[in-house]
Amino acid sequence: MYWVTPVPSDGLTFTADGKIATLQMANVPIIDQPRWPAIDAETTPAFLDFKLVFTPTDDPVRYENAMQQYRFEGFKAKAQLEATARVPSIDFTFKTDPLETSKCDFAVMGDEVNGKYYESSHG
Amino acid sequence: MAFDFVPRFELNRRHWLEVGVTSALAACLPRTLLRAQSAPQSCAPPIPQNHEPSNGGPCPYPIPWLDKNGNHNQAATPNVELSSIYHFKGKLARCNGFHGMGTDNKGNRLAWGTPTTDYSYMAGDYWSARQVHQSVFAHT
Repeated sequence: MYWVTPVPSDGLTFTADGKIATLQMANVPIIDQPRWPAIDAETTPAFLDFKLVFTPTDDPVRYENAMQQYRFEGFKAKAQLEATARVPSIDFTFKTDPLETSKCDFAVMGDEVNGKYYESSHG
Repeated sequence: MAFDFVPRFELNRRHWLEVGVTSALAACLPRTLLRAQSAPQSCAPPIPQNHEPSNGGPCPYPIPWLDKNGNHNQAATPNVELSSIYHFKGKLARCNGFHGMGTDNKGNRLAWGTPTTDYSYMAGDYWSARQVHQSVFAHT
């Protein structure tokens, strides 16, 4: 799963009403790869702390493709991110401004079924 | 894809912080190094003992048609598969196209974010090795 990392049990939390989700992780090992996607692009170990908050709107969405066997039902959302990145070997740190200052072009949150669960679920 | 800074190095789409690559590697690292990360697990199928059947490894399946090129780099938009895991059922959120500002350790003010600065969570059941697993994953 090239683009996916496991999240600790306390890394994803929801408000009591289940609507607002916060994904927060610390010391995620990452790489600094300035010359990507060059095939010989060198990498440098780095670390990322981040906090990502999803807040739903009242605008429902439903994305479904029976051929590809997926169904997503949820709401358009607002997503905001704050993060700190560190590249120890070059003594570089970058910290974003507070969460509230970030903006996001596209965000949705909801429930998804796909693959073997698609046929057995009712949309 | 994750956390792209615009000005510091060159204007490269995934200029630094290729979270995805090391996220995959993270599963191989010892827990002491990972700290906040969940416990690593091997994706390799266990070797059956006593002629028991082999049902594959416990890691989730990628989306088949997105994996054909070896990655899952499909931008999040309406009417596309938003999950990175196949045979999945659960809560999902996805976002991309962040814009923001920040400061480095030398006091320089820098913009961050590109159309491909992309995050998600997937929390629920997935099917592999012929059984249901429950977990939380992030696409970073």
